[in-house]
Amino acid sequence: MKHKFFALISVLMLTSLIMAACAPATEAPATEEGPAATEAPAATEAPAEPTAVPPEPIATFDGKTLSVPDCDYGGFVKSIEATDQYTVTFNMCKSDPAFLSKIAFSPFAIYSKDWIESTTGDTTRTSEGLEKPVGTGPYMVSEWNRGESLTFTANPEYWGEAPLTPTLVFRWSTESAARLQELQAGTIDGFDIVGSDDFAVIEADPTLHVQNREALNTFYLGMTNTFAPLDNLKVRQAIAQGIDRQRIVDNFYPVGSEVASHFTPCSIPNACEGDAWYDFDPAAAKALLAEAGFPDGFATRLGYRDVTRPYLPNVANVAQDIQAQLKENLNIEAEIVVMESGAFIEETGAGRFDGLYMLGWGADYPHVTNFIDYHFGEAQLQFGTQSPTYTEPIKVAATIGDLATAAPMYAEINNALRDYVPMVPIAHAGNAAAYKADVTNPQASPLTTELFAHSAAGDRDVFVWMQNAEPISLFCADETDGESLRACEQVTEALYGFAINDTTPEPHLAESCTPNADSSVWVCVLRQGVKFSDGSDFDSADVLATWDMGLNIGSPYHKGDTNLWEYYGTLWGLMQKTP
Amino acid sequence: MVQYFVRRLLLSIPVLFGILLVTFVMARVIPGDPCRAILGEKATKAVCDRFIHEKGLDKPIHIQFGIYMGEILHGDFGQSIRYGMPVSRLLVERLPMTVELSIAALMVSMIVGIPLGIISAVRHNTWVDVITMVWANIGVSMPVFWLGLMLAFVFSILLKDTPFWLPPSGRVTPGIPNDPFFEVWGLNLPETGVLPSFFYFLSRLNLLNAALTANWELFKDSLTHLILPAMALGTIPMALIARMARSSMLEVLGQDYIRTARAKGLTQVKVIFKHAFRNSLLPLVTVIGLSLGGLLGGAVLTETIFGLSGVGRTLYDAITARDYGIVQAFTVVIAVFFVILNLVVDLSYAYLDPRIKLD
Amino acid sequence: MAVTETGIPKLDVEGLSLKSVSLWQITWRRLFRRKSAVVGMVILGILIFIALTAQWIAPFDPIQQLIGKEEGIKKRAAPCVHAFGCPMDQPEHIAGTDGNFRDFFSRLLFGARLSLMVGISTVSFAIVIGTILGALGGYFGGWPDNIIMRFMDVLLAFPSLLLAIAIVTVLGPGLINALLAIGIVSIPQYARVVRASVLSVRELDFVSATRALGGSSYQILFLRILPNALTPLIVQGTLGIATAILDAAALSFLGLGAQPPTPEWGSMLGAERNQVFTAPHLVFLPGFMIALTVLSFNLLGDGLRDALDPRLAHLS
Repeated sequence: MKHKFFALISVLMLTSLIMAACAPATEAPATEEGPAATEAPAATEAPAEPTAVPPEPIATFDGKTLSVPDCDYGGFVKSIEATDQYTVTFNMCKSDPAFLSKIAFSPFAIYSKDWIESTTGDTTRTSEGLEKPVGTGPYMVSEWNRGESLTFTANPEYWGEAPLTPTLVFRWSTESAARLQELQAGTIDGFDIVGSDDFAVIEADPTLHVQNREALNTFYLGMTNTFAPLDNLKVRQAIAQGIDRQRIVDNFYPVGSEVASHFTPCSIPNACEGDAWYDFDPAAAKALLAEAGFPDGFATRLGYRDVTRPYLPNVANVAQDIQAQLKENLNIEAEIVVMESGAFIEETGAGRFDGLYMLGWGADYPHVTNFIDYHFGEAQLQFGTQSPTYTEPIKVAATIGDLATAAPMYAEINNALRDYVPMVPIAHAGNAAAYKADVTNPQASPLTTELFAHSAAGDRDVFVWMQNAEPISLFCADETDGESLRACEQVTEALYGFAINDTTPEPHLAESCTPNADSSVWVCVLRQGVKFSDGSDFDSADVLATWDMGLNIGSPYHKGDTNLWEYYGTLWGLMQKTP
Repeated sequence: MVQYFVRRLLLSIPVLFGILLVTFVMARVIPGDPCRAILGEKATKAVCDRFIHEKGLDKPIHIQFGIYMGEILHGDFGQSIRYGMPVSRLLVERLPMTVELSIAALMVSMIVGIPLGIISAVRHNTWVDVITMVWANIGVSMPVFWLGLMLAFVFSILLKDTPFWLPPSGRVTPGIPNDPFFEVWGLNLPETGVLPSFFYFLSRLNLLNAALTANWELFKDSLTHLILPAMALGTIPMALIARMARSSMLEVLGQDYIRTARAKGLTQVKVIFKHAFRNSLLPLVTVIGLSLGGLLGGAVLTETIFGLSGVGRTLYDAITARDYGIVQAFTVVIAVFFVILNLVVDLSYAYLDPRIKLD
Repeated sequence: MAVTETGIPKLDVEGLSLKSVSLWQITWRRLFRRKSAVVGMVILGILIFIALTAQWIAPFDPIQQLIGKEEGIKKRAAPCVHAFGCPMDQPEHIAGTDGNFRDFFSRLLFGARLSLMVGISTVSFAIVIGTILGALGGYFGGWPDNIIMRFMDVLLAFPSLLLAIAIVTVLGPGLINALLAIGIVSIPQYARVVRASVLSVRELDFVSATRALGGSSYQILFLRILPNALTPLIVQGTLGIATAILDAAALSFLGLGAQPPTPEWGSMLGAERNQVFTAPHLVFLPGFMIALTVLSFNLLGDGLRDALDPRLAHLS
């Protein structure tokens, strides 16, 4: 009896499952976009919040010119034109002094028009497009043994000097101890991100060499000033002076790190205009706190996410030190709150985190606007209320092309930040790569763009490089993680590139890109005689096809990996209208 | 027995449904979203809202579940949000590593554990027994990740420059040719389908592939890379198996028919292997079956320490990255595997002990 | 020997004492005869002692960073005991210091408290819930039994560590959430044990007798049937504490359990795992303590199982 009943239930369930399986004709599968998908939610729910409607494409592309009707969409690019076979003109909506630094960034590498078309899938790029990029660079992908290693061989069609080492292999491990182990064992030639305590070991070994990487990032202690008592200016200023930042850098940051004198690292032009940050002065800090009405301190939270980032290599240690310092110096009880990464980003980004939080920023391109505008622009909610003492000058400074002219504005901005204290900048984290001593030209680029074609592994034929993680895909137009970008950089090239171990942009696929008077029009003359690794010729049609694929959301080829198109979006602005 | 099998199968259906439901709900209930997981501090609301809408993640939850169920029943595991490729392809790529590791660990645990258990049962209460059981108990008490780190330290640092050195991470040394066996044999396989996927899966089992293509360099290299993780992962099942072998052997040895066999004049060896062993197998089979299942959990930690990218590690990374496609599909696959495993273990009871009426 | 009229030897009763011996006393005696169980109990005793007296025997505060407070303090220093030849200008730390300049030995001692608490609380939680579910299912059978058992099957279908990771990810990292996750994941085994006991005893005569005498279902269930489940529960529970401690350590190792600056062995191990080659003592010692604790529970559990198992009576 029991069994019969049970069998009945099971059959019912089976039937309902089968019916669900046969139903999808009416259900738009999650991967399809289109009016059906958008209408259903709008119709069935009484929206408390506006339901997301897909942005509309606004650009037109005829093969030679990509343009938008007007600049209302808020992006940088008005039109891109292939003025002749080897010239491309960029007409910008506004002055773009950082243009060269931006186009040198690897997501903007140029692909061949035919390759773009043939590797476009239904919603994403085909697996060939994601795994076997075809570029103009010194290497080409020979095999990607997923999970294990990625092998490159020299590109016979390369326009420049052949790579010093004919075969390049990428491997990866998330454990810094394992990476060091492999270098000591001789199974790899170099690795990235040396663990803090491993410097001594490597320096003591004459067969190994540390290559320091300049710090192009900032770690800061954020404060949401819409929550008490952080809404009190004196409280924030007290915290600004009450943390011994040198102690944090000395003890928990690798060699090559420095205390942040300003928000942006000083190697970037105009970053360090204006007064330097407060010195560590616990007496003055305590006095300020007492003035603010908290002579005995107060209780708050210190939030962070347990994720290792270039600006925070030792998250937990630093958090505990800050907690201890706040208690010792200011009698502030900061409860440590570790949050899930995504939840943390969301909460801090929306300005909802009550308390102090640890966050940072790594440079996308070496220009002061990359640091300042994102964090201290009017639209940023992260710190609570922004002050017009800096939001206004920021708007003005972003339009000034000439570095010298913009300098006093950035002095004003930095001083305003110092007075208002939306956050406390703590450190610029250097890190380092390690190599075998016989590697010629060991690289540790500040932008993590190591081009291994310029390094030789002693007299060996194979250069084995070990990084932090496996590349997600090799279609870097739609990737954001440094591990994928580095792999792409060996194979593909953009119009400009960065000099070895430096942040200066230099010509790659373009022989030159010259601006007009106010940097709103850039004319790029392309290099001639360049071929892609599949033998096809490079010319302006490929440049147009690539930028169309990247910026024009209406393009049939605008298909990537995750379809976030993050860098095309944030550095240039996707050509779309968001209602 | 067929009736039992069918009944068990029917009983599994609500369990499977429950698994799908629980997996789906848990994956979606995790706070945060894939967009912010990918972009980290560079995430902006505008970009993420658009992304979430495109992936259909803002649809009402029951509609998403319906779509998910529909896809599963069509055999479509969906796309990975992070990797932009079908999850089934990722599964075929990552599963072989875990399978190889689990089988290797299980072999280590059986080859060492069963004889140890039998010996200590036969030499009950002597020093052999005590030492074996102490060793087994210690084995079952060690955290897998600690054991892995210690083994790596001993074999990669302390034993450096000796013939006993073992590599501390990775699966193979890059540069060693690893051609799939079906290419070497000259088989022409179609592009897609179950059979090519299955062959591809087999070819990624490095030891098997190396043996099939007589590629002894690869065989040796894979083996040396596999030893440490297999030892680390296999120690706990080994201890469990040793203890279970011992206790069930002890129970059997106390029975009357063993006394009869001895009285009949059979040698010790014959007594053990012909009579005692088979009867002590039953609880042993349970433990082995359950250990195989338990290996998948321990595999996450072992794979992390030794830098192997198998199912466990990929699943853990996918949870962190909120890659719902991978989380849902891999979890369901693992869970279904458990359910099947349980069924097989139960069925093997009937085979091993005719007295058990499957009920 | 004296003999009765019918020739049967007469028993000299006066010399015998018919003291009734309870199950517990028998168990205790058998337990003590197993050397390994005794070893386990001794180790456990020491650990409990450490857990209770950590405040007084620890030389330093486990959470306090000593930078700026002690002369010559170094990060991740090797163990230094002046009596064993460590130079006098270095501060004495029996187990060295960790990555935040804290005394490692004190942290190890306080970790005992945490681990014991973790083990006992998760298992208690799982036993209480598991017993209720298993008893209800086993006693009432039919519908409730099927639903409960299918739900247990679903829980058991997932590898326990992965399920725990998923639960903690949902709830957020933290020790309490980790305990909850491990507790939830452990429920099925206790439910099964109790259910099996209840099923085996349900049809026996004394139950029918109690029912005939007018006892309610719940009275029967809790007063008569459940005590029979006690022995397998004790055994399972002791062994369960061992696995709970290991699981909690695994979660903390992955960063999902105890949060800094809490001194928990698993998170201490995880925090220093990349220093395994440069400061191995920071990795070896917490792991060793975990292994020792788990070992003691395993030995005790094994001993209890053998002592309470009537089928192995011939061995004691």
